[in-house]
Amino acid sequence: MASINLRALAPIGVFFLLCIVIAIFSPNFLSVSNAIRILNASAIPVVLVMGATFVILMGSIDLSIEGIVALCAVVTASLVLNDTTAANLGMWAIPFAVLTGGMVGAINGATHVYLRVPSFMATLGIGFVCLGIATAALGGFPVRIADRGFRALTLGRTLGLPNGIWVATAAVLVALVIQERTRLGRYVFAIGTDEVTARQSGVPVERIRILVFVLAGLFSGMAGVMAAAQLGQGHALIASGRLFTTITAVVVGGTALSGGVGSVLNSVVGVLIVVVLTNGMVLMGVPPFVQQGVQGFLIIVAVSIALDRRQLEFVK
Amino acid sequence: MTEKHKQFIRNLVPIFTLLILVFGIAAYEPGFLRPRNLMTVTADTMTLFLMASGATLVIMLGSIDLSIQAIASMTSCIVAAMLPMFGGTALLFALAAGAAAGILSGLVVNYLRIPSFVATLAIGGIMTSVAFWASNERSIYISDEDKLVWLNWATGTTAGIDHEVVVGLAVLAVLSVILSLTRFGRLVRAVGSQERAVVASGINVNGVKFFAFVISGFMAGLAGLVMAARLGSGSPTLASEFLLPAIACIIVGGTAITGGVGSIWKTFVGALIIAVVRIGMTFVGVTVFAQQIVFGLVLVLAVAMTIDRTKVSVVK
Repeated sequence: MASINLRALAPIGVFFLLCIVIAIFSPNFLSVSNAIRILNASAIPVVLVMGATFVILMGSIDLSIEGIVALCAVVTASLVLNDTTAANLGMWAIPFAVLTGGMVGAINGATHVYLRVPSFMATLGIGFVCLGIATAALGGFPVRIADRGFRALTLGRTLGLPNGIWVATAAVLVALVIQERTRLGRYVFAIGTDEVTARQSGVPVERIRILVFVLAGLFSGMAGVMAAAQLGQGHALIASGRLFTTITAVVVGGTALSGGVGSVLNSVVGVLIVVVLTNGMVLMGVPPFVQQGVQGFLIIVAVSIALDRRQLEFVK
Repeated sequence: MTEKHKQFIRNLVPIFTLLILVFGIAAYEPGFLRPRNLMTVTADTMTLFLMASGATLVIMLGSIDLSIQAIASMTSCIVAAMLPMFGGTALLFALAAGAAAGILSGLVVNYLRIPSFVATLAIGGIMTSVAFWASNERSIYISDEDKLVWLNWATGTTAGIDHEVVVGLAVLAVLSVILSLTRFGRLVRAVGSQERAVVASGINVNGVKFFAFVISGFMAGLAGLVMAARLGSGSPTLASEFLLPAIACIIVGGTAITGGVGSIWKTFVGALIIAVVRIGMTFVGVTVFAQQIVFGLVLVLAVAMTIDRTKVSVVK
C-alpha cells in the first residue's frame, strides 16, 4: 500500500524539486509575475491533457490532438469577426468549434471501434485528415481574428488572473467530476485495467470507448478555441508541438500508458512539470529547440518508471 | 480456394491497383506513359520508398517506427552542415547518426520495455532537437560543387537512368535478400506472426527487434541524404510531411500492421501507388493542401483492410 502512495506522490515531489533547483539557478523564477506566466502557459496544455488522460486510462492513445486543435482554431477564427469570412458570431463561435472537435472525436472512436483499427493508427490518419482540412480550407493562409471581445477569452483578466487560467480550471473540474462521480469515469478504469473482465461484467465497452474519444475531441476543440483566442488567428500549424507536450505531461504525471492507473489531477501536475521545466530552461538561457529533445527523454524516463512490466508479456 | 491461392491473389491486388491507376492517368494524359516520364516519376518516389523500406521490417514485427521523418530530417542537416568541412566523411557521419537513432529505439523498446510507438515518438523528438542543433535552426544550402562531388551518386543520371532509381533498386534487392534468405529475415516474419512460439524455441527475440530498428534508422538516414541531395539543402523540418505517406505506402503495399505478413517489394509497389495517386489527384485538380486528407483516409482504410483480426482479441 505504501509503495502505491509513494508512486502517486512522486510527480508532486518531482515538481517541487524542479522548482527548487530552478529557483537556485535563477531567482527570478519565484516572482509572482513568473508564477502567473507559468499558469497561463499551462492553460491550453491542461485542457488538452484532460481529454488525453481518459483515452490513455483506457490503454489507447489519441494522436489526432494537433489536427483537432488546428481544425477547431480555424473553425473558430472563421466564425468570429475576421479578415477572411463574413461571419461574426462572436462568442457563439465557441460551441460550434467545440462541437466540431467532439465530432472528430466521434469519428476517431467509431473508426477505432467499428473498423477495429488500433487507436494510434486511426487517430494518426484522422489527425492528418483534420490538418489537411485546416490547410485546404485556407489555401495555406491564416485567418486573422478582429473580434476583441472574443480574444478576451484568453487575453483578459478576472480577479487579477488571465481568463485562460479560469477556463483551464473549469476544464479540470469538469474532468474531475466525470472521473470521480460518473459511471463513464468508473468504466474507463475498468476497461483500462482489464477489458475482457469489464466486458463480461456488462460494461458497454464499445460505447464507452467512443464516448471517451468524443470527450477527448471536445477538450481538444476547446483548446483549439483558446489557441485561436491567444494568437488572434487560426491556421493549420497553430498546434504544432502540442501532441508531444500533451503525451509527455500525461505520462510524466504518472498515468500509465498500459491503462487503468492514473488520474486527471496527475496530468495537471504533469503539465506543471513540463511547463516549469520549459520556463526554467528559458530563464537559464537554454535554446528553445532543446525542449523537444528534453521532452522526448522525459517520456522515456517517465514511461519506464510507471510501466507495470508484469502486465506486459510482449512489447510491440 | 486454398489458403495459398488466396495469398497469391492478395499479393496481386497492390500490383493491379498500381496498373489500373497508371492506365487511368494515361487515358487522361497519354504522355504519362513516355519512358522518360515514368523514369522521373519513379525517381521522385524513391525517397519515400527509402524511408519506408527499413520501417517495413519494424512493421512486419508488429511494431511501428514513428521516428523515421525526424531521422531523415536530422541526417539532411548533418550532411549539409558537415560537407564543406569534412567532405565524404559527412555522408558516413549522417548514416551513422541514422543508425544510432535506430539503436536507441531498439534499446529503449527492448530493455526499458516501452511500446514502440511511444519509444519512437520520443526518440523522434530527441532527433528533431539534434537536427535543430546541427543546423543552427535554419536551412543549410549545399554548394553545387559539393553536390557534384559528393552527392552525384544520389541525383545524377547515367545512360538515361536516374541514380535515385538505382539506389532504390539496390536497397530493394539488399533488403529482399536479407528478408528472404537470412536467418534474421525468417525470424522477423516469425516474431511478427507468432512471438510466443519464437520465444518458446529459445531464440533471442530482442536481437531480431534491435536489428530491425537499426535498419529502419539507417534507411531513414539514407532517405534524408537523398532528399538533401535532391533539394540541395538540409533542414530540421525537411521530411516532416513524410511520416504519413511512408506508413501509408507500407500498408497500401499489403504489409499488415499486425505483423508477420509483408515484403520489401510490396512497399516498393505501395510507394509507387502513393506517388501515382498523388499525380492523379493533381490531374483531377485536388490541391496539394487537400492531398493530406486523402492520404489520411487511405491510411485508415488500408489498415482496416489488411489487419489480421484473429491476432488481436482486444484492440487498444
